[in-house]
Amino acid sequence: MDHEPLIIRRALDGDEGALRALWTRHAPHIDMVVRRLVGGDADLAADIAQEVWIQIFRALPSYRGDSQFGTWAHRIAVNRTLNALRKTRRLASLETEVQEDSASVEPDNDRTFVAQSIEDAAAKLSPGARAVFMLHDVEGYTHDEIARELGITAGGSKSQLFKARAKLRKLLAHLIDVKDIGISGKELQHVTSTERVAPAY
Amino acid sequence: MSHPPNVSHLPTDRLAALSDESPTATELAHLATCADCARERAVYQNLLEIASAESARLGAPLTTWERLAPALVADGVIESGRPLPMIVRKHHFRGHWLQAAAAVVLLAGGMVAGRLTAGATVLPLRASTNRAASVADSVPRFTSIEEARAAQTQSQLTFQTATAFLAQQDTTNGDSETPATIRTRLATLDRVREVVGKALNEAPYDPVINGYYLTTVGQREATLRQLNTALPAGMRLTSY
Repeated sequence: MDHEPLIIRRALDGDEGALRALWTRHAPHIDMVVRRLVGGDADLAADIAQEVWIQIFRALPSYRGDSQFGTWAHRIAVNRTLNALRKTRRLASLETEVQEDSASVEPDNDRTFVAQSIEDAAAKLSPGARAVFMLHDVEGYTHDEIARELGITAGGSKSQLFKARAKLRKLLAHLIDVKDIGISGKELQHVTSTERVAPAY
Repeated sequence: MSHPPNVSHLPTDRLAALSDESPTATELAHLATCADCARERAVYQNLLEIASAESARLGAPLTTWERLAPALVADGVIESGRPLPMIVRKHHFRGHWLQAAAAVVLLAGGMVAGRLTAGATVLPLRASTNRAASVADSVPRFTSIEEARAAQTQSQLTFQTATAFLAQQDTTNGDSETPATIRTRLATLDRVREVVGKALNEAPYDPVINGYYLTTVGQREATLRQLNTALPAGMRLTSY
């Protein structure tokens, strides 16, 4: 049973304990979103997380309860973090990168780097590629939503995502590599029915 | 990916896309006969699974309330306990009086719980009657609602901060703080939350019940974080 609406009501009523309860409950999720989008700079992430929470509480009177508080706060966190990254010019070159379809990741000068987690590995991506990957593959945003958030096209978002995945595939090879693989029975059935199609490779 | 001579594989970008897009008939035919590409596709699907699971992972907060609260006050979000803009407080006098009482109950409850978990008796009167009397003498007498409310907020924050600090720093019970005992505490807090939550439904404005509910929720989250730090390296808790 969720009594969060009551806590929110008390927070709106100026109850600092209730504000703190909302922060306590949601900080592990909200701060993770900030951390993922920012990457490895812990100080910057902490500063942005602080801004995010101030914005969440400042906007609380406008919360209508149409969605879960966590979902509503999550959107604010993403939006605010991307704005903060833009201010630090860390996302400034994203549009150019995508339009030119140039390398969307930083130079691979750390081949010996072994990432222990998605978070570690994603910290090695460029800010734009990291934002697209985190929003799509981790947070579940669509390419249209990402395009709106980042001011790029949906196609640009896709292109950036696939390059980010390719980079992460290398960094996380020890975690995700597989030995033997086949395609699924359903797909095999499809192959049989289309086996006359000659591969164009 | 190894490339046998005279064989063209699916481009890397396309393999990365196939973790959540359907292959064309041509691509499917290639995947059926090319073990390298089929393996690469599976690797990207693994990557996607790990990424999806990442969204549920909890992490230590980047913020602390001790740092955030002054910023909220400076920003005007918290105005020394006054309501947020556009919200009108109801039952002004009664609410403050009852909340002050709630703080006392919370503090008393916390002290009793603390003594019990430390293995002490609830009321060690015989040995410390004089001390208790002097403590009683030092209890502040409030002359205004504002004064009482400020003291109440301060007391509540002190209590919660001290509890959180002890949970992380007090090693006197170190051996008993295993993941199993923390899980037991978590399950207990869940039950308390459920019971107090039901009461809150029936009496949504009762400050004592509200106080207990907020404290329980706060303790539960703190315990959840503690459990994450108590688990072996590499293991993160997404459910228990």
